Amino acid sequence: MSMIDAVPLSWVLTLAAILFCIGLFGVIVRRSLIGVLFGVELMLNAVNINLIAFWRYLEPNLVAGQVFALFIITIAAAEAAVGLAMVIAVYRTRRTIVADDMRNLQG
Amino acid sequence: MMFQISDVPRLLPELMLAVLALLVLGSDVLERWADDPAARRERGRAAAQLTGIGLGLIWLVTLVQGGLAFTIAPAGAAGPLDALLSLGRNLQAGGAERGALLGAFATDGITVMARLLLIGAALVVALLAGDHLPDAHPAEFFTLLLLATLGMCVMAAAQELIIAFVALECSSIALYVLAGYSARQPAAAEAGMKYLLFGVVSSAVLLYGMSLAYGVTASIGGADGGPPRVNTSFAAIAEAVRVADVAQRGAVMLAVTLMIAGVAYKLALVPFHSWAPDVYQGASPTVAAFLAAASKTAGVFLLVRVLTAAFPDVAGAAGANGFTGWAALLALLALSTLVLGNLAALPQDVTRRLLAYSSISHAGFLALALLPLGGAAPLRDAASAALLYYLVVALIGSLAAFGALAALQAAGVADRLEDLAGLRQRNPLLAAVLTIAIASMAGLPPLAGFTAKFAVFVGAWEAGAAWLVVIALVTTVIALAYYLRVLRPIWMQPADDRPTVSVAPVTAVTLALAALALIALGVLPGPLWQLAQAAVLAR
Repeated sequence: MSMIDAVPLSWVLTLAAILFCIGLFGVIVRRSLIGVLFGVELMLNAVNINLIAFWRYLEPNLVAGQVFALFIITIAAAEAAVGLAMVIAVYRTRRTIVADDMRNLQG
Repeated sequence: MMFQISDVPRLLPELMLAVLALLVLGSDVLERWADDPAARRERGRAAAQLTGIGLGLIWLVTLVQGGLAFTIAPAGAAGPLDALLSLGRNLQAGGAERGALLGAFATDGITVMARLLLIGAALVVALLAGDHLPDAHPAEFFTLLLLATLGMCVMAAAQELIIAFVALECSSIALYVLAGYSARQPAAAEAGMKYLLFGVVSSAVLLYGMSLAYGVTASIGGADGGPPRVNTSFAAIAEAVRVADVAQRGAVMLAVTLMIAGVAYKLALVPFHSWAPDVYQGASPTVAAFLAAASKTAGVFLLVRVLTAAFPDVAGAAGANGFTGWAALLALLALSTLVLGNLAALPQDVTRRLLAYSSISHAGFLALALLPLGGAAPLRDAASAALLYYLVVALIGSLAAFGALAALQAAGVADRLEDLAGLRQRNPLLAAVLTIAIASMAGLPPLAGFTAKFAVFVGAWEAGAAWLVVIALVTTVIALAYYLRVLRPIWMQPADDRPTVSVAPVTAVTLALAALALIALGVLPGPLWQLAQAAVLAR
């Protein structure tokens, strides 16, 4: 029995939705900048699961969903690279990566 | 639907931007040995000049190629200018008529307009930045500026989800780095970090919406066994939305909501605005000018593309005849942005934060201008022209205002309102430019801002959102209060012993031209209005 017969699409979508919400929760509550970037990574991978599931279950003969997921993986890597570089820049200027301590800019 | 060699000219501005970006980057690699301060300044100036000249050339090519402002007559008598004219003819031959490239990249009038605006904004920013160089690696600064412009131009032409996303990230990632460019200054590093965090989260939200839109399209389009098609293209999505049943409509609305939320961050619509004041204050002022002018414009164009090409069937309404669809969402965003943006600007004491909130409230007007785009043809076209008109005016206005602030900062003036005291004596030109830009933002009659706001109000009123227009009018009056708070120290307070402010000639000319454009467009709105209408109709 293939995976498609055993697992309905809705289960996979629910998994992705839960992952997305966990990621969003992490972004909101984590105080370390690196923790926030973890959360974003979870959200992006939830999207990838969504795309691959839609592709595999609904139109396995076409490529759009797969290609989209590949692009997202690449761009997520670029974003993580820039994000971590920025974390280092922030750490160098103020010796902390706790988001709550970034209150230089206020009216 | 194949890509032909004759399609290459249709991508000419984007290709030229990419080549120019690499050229600017490479030009500095060869100069790396010159690293004492004087040589570094020289290198920076060279990069700025190369970028400025290149962008000016690309802008001209776009202007000729678009054929919106004028068309060159077919071959006539051979004259001294004939070689030049036939070059122009060849450019215009690769025109807009042939539909979207590979179904993914539209080269219609709106794309041409977007290119002119975004490349023009980058040109102005490059000219301003030439006298206000970053402390390290100037060529990389301009390369990032060019890459961000490239991403924005592609974003404004996208007819497909993957292209739209990649272009959005191309501009966003370059802008994250630009916002934090002077990383040795704590404020800039913090601004870059905040911009990046808000940016990546909202792009994840946008992507979740895109994946749902793709899923709905695949579930409808994948089943019928027709010819293979790209289910991420806006055309396929629009077709699927048209035949979707009630449950699928629910998923579509969720997708539209998430996508609007993701792009609303680019526009800094309340409640997705909280990064904007911090970033505009912390980033270098030229970057703030680019963010306020170009990034926002590109976000609006992306929304126009997504909403009108992929989701015209869930447009709904936001007035007496119902409160549904994305029009209602935009109406709510416009409402919160206009009210909160203007109220939050009132107590600000830092000039750039105040202008950031004013820029947020402008995004509210843009959302208001987007409302009628789901309507019927004649109304929709007039509203699109009004939107384009507003975009042009807001872009010039924010470039002039933030450019004047950049010039002030380059001259060592601190960034609180009281530091502007007596500016009319210390530098009459900057005082005049700031006054004209701010009066135009406030929508005072002889200036362009008045015409633009008026056109947007008419469009939204005719689309049935009269209640929102009334609220917008009230907030316009409230906005006068904080705009006057900027103008008061400039004109009313004595300079005391504050030093005079000197401005570099290029900056002075650029800012003066921007201010003159605001006056000219206000006194003679006709030509730009016709251009906007031509752009809307050139499909």
